[in-house]
Amino acid sequence: MSTGVQPRPTDNPETPLPPTSRTEPQLGPSRWNRFKRQASFRNVGALYILAAMFVIFSLWEPDTFLTVLTWRLLLDNQAISAIIAVAVVVPLSAGVIDLALGTEVGMGAIVVAWLITDKSVSVPVAFTLTLVIGAAIGVVVAGLIVKARIRSLIATLAMSSILIALINWLSGSEPINVVSSSFHTIATGELFGVVYPVYFAAGVSLIVWYVLEHSSFGRRVYATGANPDASRLAGVRTSRIILGATVTCGVLSAFAGLLTASQISTGDPTISANFLLPAIAAAFLGSTQFKGGRFNVAGTLVAVAVLAVGVEGLELGGAPVWTPDLFNGVVLLLAVGFAQMQRSPTRRTAAITRTIRSMGGSRKSETS
Amino acid sequence: MVPAPDDRADESGGITPLLRVRALSKTFAGTKALDDVCFDLHRGEVLAIVGQNGSGKSTLVKVLAGVHQADPGGEIDVSAVGRGARREQLHFIHQDLGLIEQLSTTENLDLSRRLGLRDLLPGGRRGEHERAALLVRRAGAAIDVRSPVARLSPAERTIVALARAMNGWPRPDGVLVLDEPTASFHSSEAQRLFDAIRHVRDAGAGVLFISHRLGEIRAIADRVIVLRDGCSVLEVPVDEADDATLVRAIVGSEINGRRERDASTFGNVRLKVVDLVGIRLAGVSLSVQAGEILGVSGVLGSGREELGSLLFGSVRRRSGSVEVDGKTLRAGDVADAIGAGMGLVPANRAQQGAVLLMNVRENLTLAGLQSVQRRFGWIPRRPERAEATRWARAVDLRPADPERPMAQLSGGNQQKVVLAKWLRTMPNVLVLDEPTAGVDVGAKVSIYELVRDAASQGTAVVISSSDTKELAEVCDRVVVLNGGCVVGELSGAALTEQAVLYMSFEVSAAAVAAS
Repeated sequence: MSTGVQPRPTDNPETPLPPTSRTEPQLGPSRWNRFKRQASFRNVGALYILAAMFVIFSLWEPDTFLTVLTWRLLLDNQAISAIIAVAVVVPLSAGVIDLALGTEVGMGAIVVAWLITDKSVSVPVAFTLTLVIGAAIGVVVAGLIVKARIRSLIATLAMSSILIALINWLSGSEPINVVSSSFHTIATGELFGVVYPVYFAAGVSLIVWYVLEHSSFGRRVYATGANPDASRLAGVRTSRIILGATVTCGVLSAFAGLLTASQISTGDPTISANFLLPAIAAAFLGSTQFKGGRFNVAGTLVAVAVLAVGVEGLELGGAPVWTPDLFNGVVLLLAVGFAQMQRSPTRRTAAITRTIRSMGGSRKSETS
Repeated sequence: MVPAPDDRADESGGITPLLRVRALSKTFAGTKALDDVCFDLHRGEVLAIVGQNGSGKSTLVKVLAGVHQADPGGEIDVSAVGRGARREQLHFIHQDLGLIEQLSTTENLDLSRRLGLRDLLPGGRRGEHERAALLVRRAGAAIDVRSPVARLSPAERTIVALARAMNGWPRPDGVLVLDEPTASFHSSEAQRLFDAIRHVRDAGAGVLFISHRLGEIRAIADRVIVLRDGCSVLEVPVDEADDATLVRAIVGSEINGRRERDASTFGNVRLKVVDLVGIRLAGVSLSVQAGEILGVSGVLGSGREELGSLLFGSVRRRSGSVEVDGKTLRAGDVADAIGAGMGLVPANRAQQGAVLLMNVRENLTLAGLQSVQRRFGWIPRRPERAEATRWARAVDLRPADPERPMAQLSGGNQQKVVLAKWLRTMPNVLVLDEPTAGVDVGAKVSIYELVRDAASQGTAVVISSSDTKELAEVCDRVVVLNGGCVVGELSGAALTEQAVLYMSFEVSAAAVAAS
């Protein structure tokens, strides 16, 4: 009856205790195993890849790769990508695949430029209105999923097409120039030698990380994503959770779009296509990190870094222009595929070990 | 489809049974699920197998199907048509028929065929439809083979499954195993399936008919075997056994483990249900007092299986009212039911009860999350973990590790977590739907203990279950449903397993006889 409370030193609970743990004090192997589990390639593989790439590129192109300028540019360029990737983590966690992400960003860029240039709205008001419109898009997406019961994949695919139409209607399919230094400052102003978007990305990541992993809203988001039926039956108002998730994503991607427009002082109607895939790739790659398959902010940030460093290194090394796309695709497949592969045999090994043990206990099984 | 002469069968002249089972046993982790079962199944015979939940019926089916390996020493001889492995000689129709609803009968029948390159070419549709219609006719029925299976009635679908099982028999004397085929039927529909079964039987097939319902067995079977605790305890021609004999054989000698509780200690009425109507339920009224455990019995199709979801609001009631402590719950509003202090342990644990991708702690605190959260929705780590550990120990979770992923727990332990999730909220009304389905014996005992404890603290408990032993053991009062209505109520000394079973069976027998 009381045996259940003993600390269990093994990482996989269904496998029998390793022989060492029977002779040694319980705490030692427990800490070591916990460390081993947390530092395993399966858990933090992207960090190892990041380190390996750093070493390789440093040796390959020390003059360019190891300069402060390279790293500052990298940071500046990736801040907005990080915000978009973190934005999509929220709906993904709630089980909503948001394919309208890219166009939500593009919409933000166009709306803010259109408001300032065509409608002569002041920068702070345009800023606020853009975020409100982002939220409104989130509300519409949630409505399609929750009320009209359209699958998120289809609903957001349709939504992205509609948004592209709106973007072209507002802009007349022409870039909208924004002549406003205060607007340009939002994405290009510097503090301690680092542009503002880096701080924005840090702030957004921190808030989303806190909400997802340490708040009751986040718990409900994950529950909704993992099993909407059971969550609803436990009292989670899953419709509201989905609404919250899509609105968050809408606001954050509108913000990212606004930053993009500010960066180049232009609302460009053609940028939408560039954002969806890298962000989704980072979120999925990130989900293989730290949390055993759960979408999470830290993993996503690491994934953004891996993709960025890899692409940067290859470009500095003179790789052709199509390498970034190739690299993104291959890394995503490798990381996710590897995580799958590692997961399934473990289960099988565990099952085999269980069977052998129940048949009378052979020690051979414990080497696994 | 021309009957091929078979020398061996001619020599034996029909004396050799189609299926011969001898000394069949199956042991799971020390408990005998099947114990020395022997029987013969002959040509042109319907043999019924009845028994309680856990009597070994489903184990028998699984051993026959080759899902489980029988213990050494058992024999299963099939002298039926067909070659190859046993599962290709015996033909199974499971409760889940395995038909693809969007496809037509023709397409479903065609799925089992091996495809060649030639199938990429267009044409041949008419021939296919004719072949399908012929197969269905061999099962003694006429069905529009072009319309999607989803549009067919449950009985017609079962007939399609029957036709598919018989597809490719060179001769009509194969063996069919039907595992509770009528579970999802209205009793009036069963007749169509029975006609099909008779047709197949008369053509020479042997049919093994696994069922819960005595009435159906009377209607269709020639012989009946009663299983209890894995043993075959009675084998008689159906005409020679009356219902009382069968029920006695099914239940066995009854040990009344129930602790009689004094009804006067029960408090006010906490749950009041008036004229509840759902898909199957047709006006059910109940009331449960604080501290009382009410059992709800009824065979599949009686409406019992939807009662829990209707009370809780996870399925919207069509009419009637559900009151908790005098407050009427809004129809189809789970959050309202939870707000009124109701909890539901649903029958489908993996789908509705547990969030398998989360760990024990997250599952435990999912209902009543507000009690572990602080300002700004912050859930501090330590107090939550302490709370989860406390509950893991309280429900005797093994091991009591709140960080273990839910998917790694056994069914019994998962159910303890689902139950603990609601017990933590101190519910006014706790509804349990099949609380011990797929739960090992040890966990069963702790679950009953927990439910009794909750009741003694003033919770009104409703247990809806197909396990009559459980109902007789745990409940203070049991109502029996049939055809969507309450047809009887048992309490006190009258509440025995035999009485519950008899009441459930006898009425369904009447229903089948009436159809």
